[in-house]
Amino acid sequence: MNIVLAGLSHKSASVALREALAAVGVPTVLERLAAEGWEEMVVLSTCNRFELYTSTLALPSGEDPAGTRNSVQGAATYNDVETMRQLLEFMENLCGQSLGQVVYQKSGQEAIHHLFSVSAGLDSLVVGEAEILGQVKQAYEISRQMGRTGKSLNTLFQRALYVGKLVRSHTGISTGQTSVASVAVQLAQKIFGSLSESQVLILGAGKMAELSAKHLLSGNVKRLLVSNRTREKGVALAQKFDAEAVRWEAFPQLLEQVDIVIASTGSARPILTSQLLGPVLSSRRGRSLFLIDIAMPRDVEESVCRLEHVYLYTLEDLKEIVEENVSKRREEFAGARVLVEEELLKFCERDKTRVSYVEKTQAGDARI
Amino acid sequence: MEIGFFKTAAALYTVSMVLSFGYLLSKKERLSFWLWKILSVGLFCHVVSFILRTRTFWQIPENRYFLPINTFFGALSYLALAVALVFWVVEGRHRLNILGAFVLPWACLASGAAVVFADPAISGLVPALQSYWINIHPMVLMTAYAAFANAFGVGLALLIQEHQVKSRKPSLLCYRLPAIEDLDQLNYRIIAVFFPVLTIGIIMGGVWAYNAWGRFWGWDAKETWALITWFVYVIYLHMRFFGGVRGRKTVYVSMLGFASVIFTFVGVNYLSELHGYLSSKG
Repeated sequence: MNIVLAGLSHKSASVALREALAAVGVPTVLERLAAEGWEEMVVLSTCNRFELYTSTLALPSGEDPAGTRNSVQGAATYNDVETMRQLLEFMENLCGQSLGQVVYQKSGQEAIHHLFSVSAGLDSLVVGEAEILGQVKQAYEISRQMGRTGKSLNTLFQRALYVGKLVRSHTGISTGQTSVASVAVQLAQKIFGSLSESQVLILGAGKMAELSAKHLLSGNVKRLLVSNRTREKGVALAQKFDAEAVRWEAFPQLLEQVDIVIASTGSARPILTSQLLGPVLSSRRGRSLFLIDIAMPRDVEESVCRLEHVYLYTLEDLKEIVEENVSKRREEFAGARVLVEEELLKFCERDKTRVSYVEKTQAGDARI
Repeated sequence: MEIGFFKTAAALYTVSMVLSFGYLLSKKERLSFWLWKILSVGLFCHVVSFILRTRTFWQIPENRYFLPINTFFGALSYLALAVALVFWVVEGRHRLNILGAFVLPWACLASGAAVVFADPAISGLVPALQSYWINIHPMVLMTAYAAFANAFGVGLALLIQEHQVKSRKPSLLCYRLPAIEDLDQLNYRIIAVFFPVLTIGIIMGGVWAYNAWGRFWGWDAKETWALITWFVYVIYLHMRFFGGVRGRKTVYVSMLGFASVIFTFVGVNYLSELHGYLSSKG
């Protein structure tokens, strides 16, 4: 078998172009490919990449597939070059512009290496992120269900998924959250366990407040409250997330009930002070209170962190954790790459044995 | 042969404790898998050893149908078994294998002390102990003690986790340990469930004392310290129920309670005339 791929990613193409291609939808792309005579295809389409994988045993009908099998280790054959050209042409037709500069084309071992790296998260914007593995799986499943995968793509993608899991479990490439909001959610989970019983109060209605609300909702909290000095803006944000809007004057009373407070107001002076929180804490009967201060200047007085059962994290604290996690991932990068290369060699060795076995049988058949 | 099984159990507890430390400090799920398997085999060996020991014990006619916990060896062995078993049931049910590093040392300590310091010889029961109460009163109390050892481990994990989150610079350990509120709940639940067991055990002691010595309570050192332990846990429950206190402060009290348990179990044997059987003083 020989694998050929053409694609573009966050490393080569603009957001607009990636979005345009992602908008087409995988089933549509697959159908159009089928209409042009491509038999074996997998389309990996995410917001960060658009890649077409095919096996040159499955060229558009009318092409001669002879001599394609011998290029697993070697340089691209004439057939590969032709396939890549056709794939590029297809992508250009799909988005209606010339893509010569942004599309990368790979074949043989290079293509397999690329897919393994992608599925291991080594080619991602955030190294080691988990989402891409699911996306590779989904891309493969769609093709398989539509009957667009043959033996070579089946073997390749199943292996790629295995390599993705292997790299993540054997190296620290995917440990630690890498965004401020996800670190905050993770810390909340380390305080409260499941967040399904947690009540969250958001102070302010700016962009950061909106972003954190979005992430916390993915943690499925019990109740989300928004309080803003300008009531209309608070109400607007609350409506967006199906949250409750609370009058600004009423929020101090709410501190007795809520578990997590996200402060991101534009106030020049701290809003949550030890003086305000002290009396509130005694009526909370020892329940933990998680304060996330993402405002500049700060909304929460520093001395608050000395109060028992209060856990305060500022934007800088969260950023520091993110940076630490990212640098830890980077340290793991080299090890992960070695692992991918080892797996690549193993895969190609196995493929070579399989190919020579097939050749032998075919030779045997020919003799008969 | 029962000693062989017991030593194997003690060794396996030690191995699973080492694995639990490894699991706490690394991210290898495989360690957790083996820690659980090895602990289970250790528990099995321990139970077999206990059954064999009981059979040998019953070969002496006056010991018939009483459990062999009249010696320091027997008591430590049962305590280690109870600690490991409570961990296996409670933490296992909550999938908190990670807490092994905080609880299993107690099982290792008890079984290790039995191997190193205690005389495993089997002797006939003195007449005062030839009562069906010996099958109930010490067992009930030691089961409560084992549960408190578990609560102590959970409390320790809570203190570490609270410090981690509070520091604003959480290390890898923070991500390995369970949530603060979950640990707090578990610590409370273990004590709330086993406090009545402690109470019943002490009352049973009183009843037995009445039957054997004609008085319910005599301020023997063991009795006094058992009462002190009981009061410490009463304070703990009172703080939680009525004081609205949780977290670090209550954990300190529960740790004080456990210190008192250790003293009642080990130290008092050298003070008490009546309960000195473990140090062969009584």
